[in-house]
Order: sequence, then structure tokens, then C-alpha cells
Amino acid sequence: MLAKHRCGGKSRPFHLDEGSHMTIMSQWRAALVVSSFIGLAIPAAAQDGRRVTITGEISDTWCTISGLMFAKGTAHHQCAIWCALGGIPVSIRDAKGNLYLILKIGDDDDSASNPRVARMATHEVSVDGELLERDGVNYLLVDRIADDKGVITMTHEEYGIQPFGN
Amino acid sequence: MQALSTIRLALMIFTVSGATSSLAAEAWNIPHERAVVLKGRVVDALCQLKGRCAPDCGGGKRQLGLLLTDGTFRLVAKSNIDFAGSIPDLIGFCGKEIEADGLLIENPAITLFFVQGIRTDAAGSFIPAERFKADWETRNGKAEEWWRADPEANRIIAADGPLGIKGLVPKPKP
Repeated sequence: MLAKHRCGGKSRPFHLDEGSHMTIMSQWRAALVVSSFIGLAIPAAAQDGRRVTITGEISDTWCTISGLMFAKGTAHHQCAIWCALGGIPVSIRDAKGNLYLILKIGDDDDSASNPRVARMATHEVSVDGELLERDGVNYLLVDRIADDKGVITMTHEEYGIQPFGN
Repeated sequence: MQALSTIRLALMIFTVSGATSSLAAEAWNIPHERAVVLKGRVVDALCQLKGRCAPDCGGGKRQLGLLLTDGTFRLVAKSNIDFAGSIPDLIGFCGKEIEADGLLIENPAITLFFVQGIRTDAAGSFIPAERFKADWETRNGKAEEWWRADPEANRIIAADGPLGIKGLVPKPKP
């Protein structure tokens, strides 16, 4: 039973040749044709978010909400690396406990099993980006990591290394 | 007697197949969890939310979810495999309709779906969401605990230590 309670191609923006002499309408038609061919139809629900600065700990989302272990700081660093590389969504948890699920960092759209994100597990960071709220989730598109203090929450003395002690 | 044999045979087939055709989500007693079957189309989260799309839903590098018929988008965050998400289970269904059996966790901080089984045919069986391990072993070889054998994880932990601070080591166990 214990075992079950563990945590557990980049896109290019579509860009028409700026030097072309196509009209706006013909450009849109061309975009639709191209997107139909390559299966990249833009969803009707795509939205604009709002600009935010978020400060908090890079957290494994699953361990945080499952409550199955102590998912903060040094005690959880190793587990958070495993979960991030396993493809579980990574969030930033702020001081109030709000979670902001990261969908991109800079030009890097890889939000699953991204070693760059895994290396920041349990770091205290401050980021600038775009916040999109949808169906109970705060999605964060990080533009810039303004500050990375590294791991500063010392929890291992009290909780050991989660979840196995090593 | 013949009916009894038929039932036995059906039970054997059911056991061997490792799949179930009924609601199968196992409770984990996670706060705010609810067993549900979600029906929807597999989509790439960044594409769905922002229109920033990539071929094949990102080819396994992006978070995925289900777009339900009422327009609700549910991010699928976890599979049955320890420390692993559900992308390998979903990526083959990019743009397709599926049914996903699992736990919807409506935590006030975030709502996520933990998928336990997937099927494409409403009359068919749910296939356990366990593909991560098979895919990982294809790339890295057999391992009892994939997470301890993962080369990338071990590189990161070797560089910064298991506590994430260079030079800080856990006390030896008594």
C-alpha cells in the first residue's frame, strides 16, 4: 500500500513572410490552410492572461495536493526531481498556498520531463509571466526568472528525506 | 453446469486481460478526490489555453489534458506509475476522443485529474494507465525503481545533493 502512496519538439510561432505582398485576408486564408494541413488549428478557447510576478517554491504539484508526504524544501527536493522528470506538472507554490502550474519558461515550451525545470526543484524563485485561469487551475507562462535563491527551506532535519528516508 | 463454466471462463479472461470494463477508479483518500469517468478529447494544454500549438500535442514534451464536451478543460497530471505523469498514456490519442477513469481532485488550490484507466470504445475495457514504465525501460533498461535508476535524475542529484544544497548531506541513519 505504501508503494502506491508515492508521489508519485519545440513549437515555432506561425510566421508569414513579412516581405510578401499578400493581403490580410489572403494571409489568414493561407494560415488556415497551413494549420489544417499540419493539424495545428488554434482552439477557440485560447485566451489572453494577465501579467503577474509570482514568488514561491518550485513544487511538485501531485505531492503538494495529495498530502501523502511532506512536500516542501530540502526534505522533498529529491522526490520533486523524480516527479518532474516523470512528467508530473510542476508548480510554484506561493506563501499563501496558491499553486501556479508552469506551462513554459521563456522560449522553452517543454512542460513535461524538462531537466531544466527539474534542476530547480524546491528552489525559491520569483518569476514574471502571464497567468491564465481556467477550470480551477492557475496556469503560468513564465517569461523570465527574475530571481532564484536556490533551496532555502530547511525541512530535512524534521522530516528526513521524503518519502523513503534516503 | 455449462453456465458455471462460462462464468469461470469469463472471470479468467477478465483476470488475464488486466483491464476492467466498469468504473474502476481506486480511492486514494486524497482530500477532495472524486471517482469519475471523464469523456473528452486529448489536447495539449499550452495549445488549448494559449493557441501556442505544436505537432502531435508536443510529442510527449508538453502537459496534456482532456477537453470535455461542455468546454471544460481538465489537466491530467498523474498515472498509476510511481512518480510519473500520464503523458505516455495519452500522447497516442492526441486529438482523439477517449474515456478516462480516475480521480478528479478538486483542491481549492488546483483541480487535477489522476487517470487510472483509458479506453476509446465505451463498450470496451479500460487499459491501466501504466505506459510510463514500459517507455522508460525501452530507453533505459529494466529497473525495479525507475526513479533511482534514471540517468538524468542521478546527474542532478549528484551535482546538487539529495537535499538540493551542495555540500549539505543528510545525517546517516542511526
